[in-house]
Order: sequence, then structure tokens, then C-alpha cells
Amino acid sequence: MAEPLIRMQNIRKSYGRVQALEDANFHVNEREIVGLLGDNGAGKSTLIKVLSGAVPLTSGDIYIRGKKVTLRSTSDAIAHGIETIYQDSALVTQLSIARNLFLGREPIKPPRFLNRMDQEAMNNVARDLLKQVGISKNIPPTTPIGSLSGGERQAVAIARAMHFDSDLIILDEPTNNLGVAETQGVLSFVRSARDSGHSCIFIAHNIHHVFQVVDRIVVMRRGKVVADDIDPKTTTVTEVERIITGMSDKEIRDAVADGKPSH
Amino acid sequence: MENHSLVQRLIARPEFGPFVLLVVEIGVFWGFNHDFLSPQNISNTLAFTVELGLIALAMTLLMTSGEFDLSVGSLFGFSPVLMWTLFNGGVTSLEMGFVVALVVAALIGLVNGWFVTQLKIPSFLVTLGMLLVVRGSALFITDGFPQRTWSAEGSWLAEALVGDFFIGPFRIYMSLFWFIAAAIALGYVLTQSRTGNWIQAAGGNPNAARARGVNVNRVKIGLFVLSSLMASLAGVISSLRTSAANPNSGTGYELEVIAMVVIGGTALTGGRGTIIGTVLGILILRVMRNGIVLIGVPGLAYNIFIGAIILGMMALHSWLERRHQAGT
Repeated sequence: MAEPLIRMQNIRKSYGRVQALEDANFHVNEREIVGLLGDNGAGKSTLIKVLSGAVPLTSGDIYIRGKKVTLRSTSDAIAHGIETIYQDSALVTQLSIARNLFLGREPIKPPRFLNRMDQEAMNNVARDLLKQVGISKNIPPTTPIGSLSGGERQAVAIARAMHFDSDLIILDEPTNNLGVAETQGVLSFVRSARDSGHSCIFIAHNIHHVFQVVDRIVVMRRGKVVADDIDPKTTTVTEVERIITGMSDKEIRDAVADGKPSH
Repeated sequence: MENHSLVQRLIARPEFGPFVLLVVEIGVFWGFNHDFLSPQNISNTLAFTVELGLIALAMTLLMTSGEFDLSVGSLFGFSPVLMWTLFNGGVTSLEMGFVVALVVAALIGLVNGWFVTQLKIPSFLVTLGMLLVVRGSALFITDGFPQRTWSAEGSWLAEALVGDFFIGPFRIYMSLFWFIAAAIALGYVLTQSRTGNWIQAAGGNPNAARARGVNVNRVKIGLFVLSSLMASLAGVISSLRTSAANPNSGTGYELEVIAMVVIGGTALTGGRGTIIGTVLGILILRVMRNGIVLIGVPGLAYNIFIGAIILGMMALHSWLERRHQAGT
């Protein structure tokens, strides 16, 4: 089997005496949307923070395409192609769509010493990206983020990750507080990201949203990954809910194996 | 949104409110006293306006990045005192004294920025402390007495900073050109340059900016240095023009400058700033101070009007902001 895009092995993370992650094993394949589920305190966000470079791990290894990496900071993770989108903190509401897309990587118009942004190029790319990610409404790229809806903001953040060739886009609760139509929009943005070659980790409390979009479901409980190969096509929401809330390992194996075609 | 007419877009700009206020203000004062628009009055008003204005321009960028600087008024007093003390004591030439004053100002800005970004102390407390340190130093160096300043005649530095000449009936100081140059340069930085994007992001959402690899701390430290440098330059210009270096000068300027910036439409909370607005804010307050005296209102009542203007403009800006957020 081919080496996965991301492999996290025996990840441990403790905060003082609290063990947030205990030998968690987790992987994401190329062009795959993985749904990461678990109750509050199960270790999802800690796992994601470790992977996005926000917190250092206590022990364990992270491999990208088989190569071991150390992620010391969020910029480290971004440099390795891992982009994390938090719902509220990803964008600067006062800045325009185009300026947010290129924040920190603004193209410069020659002569370079004038340090002048190429706003026309930024706007053109932004316009294309919005189309590509599937925003059908005609929103000018100079619109400030503050006047966009929650779903549109997610779209901008996803578009940015796609444009800068992130291999892995981590979405933390992207459908929180969104209406039905907006949620469908975000789910389709996630699909278009996968279809253009990116992998995603999708974290959401709403299991139904996860089921609609992911290729594979991973469940965490008490700092461990307790099921990592659940096929949403052949497993029911109720079964997954039972795994999240806690069953014996045997019960989980049975539940997963029940609906899964053998391979 | 794109269909809005030109007029509607003009009205929606944050600078529109201050612009209308300035026009009304000038109209009213002129109506009361035609001398208000006399060349002599305009020349006099402009001379001091640009000195405070230089500080306000730098403060606009600093406030856009989410910080502010209360130590500017004390630097305005301290820098010329330092320059003249060095010169009068025969330690350096006037020009060298000026350079030393600027270097010291830059260091003070660096310390402000370091405390705010590295020790994570709010800029209010850091720069309040610095205000006392700097003002105290100025008073200590001079024993509280003004410094001798009459020997600046013929110095090329004095000529370059405050040399004056007449355009028609208007007496123009060189400082006006420095102010215009600074306004254009900083306006360009804020709206056109990559640094401007970082400044706005640093004030709007520092975590998002950091996540994109923007060095928020470096941006802020740089702006604290700029703020100190401009306050120092303004103090030296004022001292050369008035032939005075009083350790107490500049007292209270920090609040007047911050008022100019927020009246112009820059957000006190950061993320949004406008140089054009600040230029309007500078003119609004200086015209008010001048006009009140000319129409015979006691100068002591000045602060009542300034306070009322600040409250009124804040109400207008917040109303525009809410309308804007509603998505228009």
C-alpha cells in the first residue's frame, strides 16, 4: 500500500498530569477527506493542534509522504503544506477578500523597492478562485470579509489553502453556526478541494455533515484513536454515535466489520 | 454593491463625515469673522498644525496596528531639549545634536515596542510609563528651565526644517512640505504597500496575521519607532520655529493627537485607518482652536467643543460601521 500523505504515530501529548493524547495513531491518504469525530475532550483538537504546529507533542512521530518531519510552529506546518482553518480566526474582517487571500504573500509590482502590492493581479486571482471554489454569487474581490456570510468566509479560507497548494487542509468546525444552504455550500467547497487534489481533515460536531462529505471516518475517545477505518457509505450514523460514546473494542470491531465490505 | 452610484460610494467612505464637518466648521467661522480666511491667519494656523500633524500621521499607522503611544507629547518636549543641551554645552554641532535626539527617540520607540510585544503589556501602560520617564528626564536635564535657542540662525538644518518664504501673501514654512511628504508617503504605505496590509492585519486579527507568517511584533515595533521619531522631529521643528526649547512643551499633545486620528475615522481598536481622514481630523481640531478664539469664545472653552466633536464623530462612525456591517 502506498505511503499515506500524513502519518502520525504513537502521538502522546500531556498537559502537566493530564494526558490529552495517549499513543494516538492517525493517517490521511492523498486526495482523501477524513472525518475526525469524538466527544468533547476526546483529543480531536489536541491532535489537530499538534498537526498544525500550534502545540508541541510530548512524544511520537509525524511523517509526510513517508518523511519524518518536526513541526515547531504554525509556519512550519504551512511550509510543509498543512493549512488549518479555524472558523473565527482565519481571516481579517477589515481587509478585502483579495487582501486576505494574499496576506503574508502579497505579490509585489516592480520596481520592488517600492514594496507596492499588485492589487490588480490579486483581484484577478481572487475572482478566479471564488469561482473555482464554487461561490456562484458575483462578489467583487475588493469586498471586505466583514460583509460576507459565515459560509462565504469559509469559502475564502478554503480557496486560500487551495491556491497556496496546501496538501492537507484541516477544517475545524467549518459548518458551525451555518444555515442549511450555507452548510451545503461549505461541503461542496470541501469536495472541490479534494477533487483538485487536496486532502482534508473535517472536524464537526454534527455527524450528519461529516457523513455527507467524508471518505473515511476516524473516531477518538480519551486521547486514543479507537476506530480509524469507518466507511460512511456502509455504516450508519447510530453506529458511529455508539462508537463515539464508548463501547468495548470488540463491539466497535463488530460494528465496523458488520457493514464493511471485505478487502 | 457595485451598482452604487459615485455619490453613494463617496458618502460611504469613512472620510466623508470629517470632510463635511471641516467644511461646515470653516464656513461657520468665516461667516462670523471674515478675518478667519485671511492669509495671515491661515499661515499662522498652518505653521503649528503641521507640527502636531506629523505626530498624528505616525499615530494613524500605529493605531491601525492596534496600539497607541501616549509618550509622543513628552518626546515632543524632550528631543529639542536634548538637542539644544548638547549644542549649548559645546558637545556637538546643532546637526549632530539633532541626529542624537533622533537616535534616542528611536531607542525609546524600540523600548515601547519591546515592552508591548515581548512582555505583552498593554500599550496604554507602557507608553504612560514612558511618558513619565521622558518628561521627567527633560525636566531633570534642564532643572525645569527653558534652553537657550537663539543661535540657530543660518544653520542649514533650521533652514531645511522651518525656513520660511512667501507665496503671494501666504507665509509658508518648510515644515509644511515635510508634512505633505510624510502624509503622501505614509498614505502610500498604508493603502498600497505590502507593509500596509500587514499593519491592518496586525490590528484587525493578529492571530490570523501570525498564522499567515506575518511578523506582527516586528510591524508593531517598527511603528512605535516611527511614532517616536515623528514626535521628536515635530518637537525639533516647533522649537526651531518658535526659538524655544521648554521641557514642558508638548504636555497633553498625546490626547489631542489621538483625538485627531479617531475623528478622522481610524478605529481605536485597530484594523482600519485612513491618512486622509487623519489630515482632515488634524485640520478640524486646529481650525476649531483657532476659530473659537477669532469669533470671541473664551479660549478656555476650547475643550468643550473638542469633546463635543469627538463624541459626535464617534457616534457618526459607529453608525456608519453598523450600516456597513449590515451588508448594505
